[in-house]
Amino acid sequence: MIGPLVNGIILGSIITLGAIGVTLVADILNFFNFAHGAIFTLGAYFTYLYLNILPDMGSMFSLSFGGSMLIAIILSMVSTSLVVLFFDKIIFRTLRRRDASSLFLALTSLGLVFVMKATISMIWGPQVHYYGPIQSAIKFPLGIRVKPDEFFIVAASLILVLVAYLFLKYTRLGKAMRATSDNVVLAQASGVGTERIVTWTWIMSASLAALGGTLYGLEVQIRPTMGWSFLIPMFVAVIVGGVGSFGGALAGGMIIGISEELITSLLQDLFLKLDIRVVMSAYKPAIAFVLIIFVLLVRPHGIFGRKGG
Amino acid sequence: MLSYIASYLVMASIYGIIALALNFQWGFSGLMNFGIGASYMLGAYSAALLSSAPTAEHLGGFGVPFPFDLIGAAVIPAFIAFLIGFPALRLKGGPFAIATLAIHEIIYLIVHNEMWLTNGVWGIRDISRPLYSQMPQQYDFFYLLIAGGLLIVFYFFFRKVVRSPWGRVIRGVKVDEDMALMSGKHAWSYKMQSFVLGSAVAGIAGGLFVHYTGFVSPTNFTPLMATFIVWLMVMVGGSGSNRGVLVGTFFVWGVWTGSEFLTDLFPGSMETRAGFMRMFLMGIILLIVIMTRPQGIFGRKKIIPKYLRSK
Repeated sequence: MIGPLVNGIILGSIITLGAIGVTLVADILNFFNFAHGAIFTLGAYFTYLYLNILPDMGSMFSLSFGGSMLIAIILSMVSTSLVVLFFDKIIFRTLRRRDASSLFLALTSLGLVFVMKATISMIWGPQVHYYGPIQSAIKFPLGIRVKPDEFFIVAASLILVLVAYLFLKYTRLGKAMRATSDNVVLAQASGVGTERIVTWTWIMSASLAALGGTLYGLEVQIRPTMGWSFLIPMFVAVIVGGVGSFGGALAGGMIIGISEELITSLLQDLFLKLDIRVVMSAYKPAIAFVLIIFVLLVRPHGIFGRKGG
Repeated sequence: MLSYIASYLVMASIYGIIALALNFQWGFSGLMNFGIGASYMLGAYSAALLSSAPTAEHLGGFGVPFPFDLIGAAVIPAFIAFLIGFPALRLKGGPFAIATLAIHEIIYLIVHNEMWLTNGVWGIRDISRPLYSQMPQQYDFFYLLIAGGLLIVFYFFFRKVVRSPWGRVIRGVKVDEDMALMSGKHAWSYKMQSFVLGSAVAGIAGGLFVHYTGFVSPTNFTPLMATFIVWLMVMVGGSGSNRGVLVGTFFVWGVWTGSEFLTDLFPGSMETRAGFMRMFLMGIILLIVIMTRPQGIFGRKKIIPKYLRSK
């Protein structure tokens, strides 16, 4: 019972990092970015690339990696942001000027998924990669097994989420971003440059996704399809939490992560007792989907969503 | 060579039927269905299971002969779409697309994992190919008559449907749901009807596919091959134009089959990577169409007269 809960928190913090990016783009650029999963994957591969270039600096504490990983993550966040800004410049900006509908932008991002996924697969191959040797878990009371890296995963996500929150809440730029999401015309009239806001939205979204991808790579492995399988949980977290709500993305991410792990393990136990042979872990994405239906039946705008938002 | 062209035309006809179904859902009804591949997959597996001989490997042995199992291939996806429509059609736009994408993933997972039902990744073999024993040499030409014939039937069917009074309401709901409601048309119900009809037609295409290849496995229904390529066909041709969608289908399927030579250009060890070249090409085509001609080759920007638009 507590084991799946711990796993759920780890998974939930990774989903949250992706969900914040989805919700920011959905709110400020007004479309659901289907390429967000591919951005997530790209971030993980950039980290892999830099990790192999940088000299090995040994490992910190009892983590499986050291300072070179931290530098690689930062470089990966920058590189991923640059790639995403490049796509914005050549594709999305033109479409914005043309006043393309949000569905049209979503479809464009679906096209981008295949371009990015194919490029990643061509460069790094379709096989699985690892950042380092697989770590053995430390045993805690109550049958909890946690790898030291997993503390890092949760801590790094929480810190970055907090930084992003403080940025949006207190900095001038963050306030301008929130103002734009609230009312574009009013924000523009007050002298907020929309293009600058869009640039920073992409940078935040891509950086958090790059971190999320890297953390998932640390926890499991990196492969070209990793982001695609995270896409649905990320979207569901956003819809459950309420589109455009920062706290909603955090709560949604955690709810999805924990319920995926908890419900699969509970159902698996139940099926074992009833002697039904179903491998529940294969159906984790289905749980996210069932959850979305329940929440939307009760609260059509999500848990933290504003009406009409 | 001729039979190569015939086999290209057969597959293009099958994809053409799915593209017409998607065009009806997206181009005329405004439903952003990213799960059209799920209906295609359900239709394919329904036909395969209904017509296959009894076996210990998976469900089967119903013994429904060829043209009649296509009814099952239409009814089963339609029924599933009906069930899914209740929660999914409460959502609009982007969230609806996500919900349908999730449904595709779930159905894919079931087909992929449940050995007793679909034989999992091993797929279903020896699906009956109608009249194959009579003409193994000219089979592609014979099947072209069936697939191509059905494509033409569905082309005129959708042409008729869209122009009927019912189709006018469907188009009206796309443009302005509130306006349709005000005119006493139950918008939600019309969206559901469109969703179910499109899914049924895509299911029939799935049934045609398995009787042509005689084999079906989950790898036929990846997001690229079952959903994205169909979207590409609709977008290239022009959503909202049935004629355009047919042109788009034959063009996109031509590029896809033509690009097979790309895999031959690379040495053996690089072959898997060359496969991704083709995926890359498909994505790039969509981006080029969107940037240069967003309404597609034959697309019209408006599907109802300007003065009727509310915006």
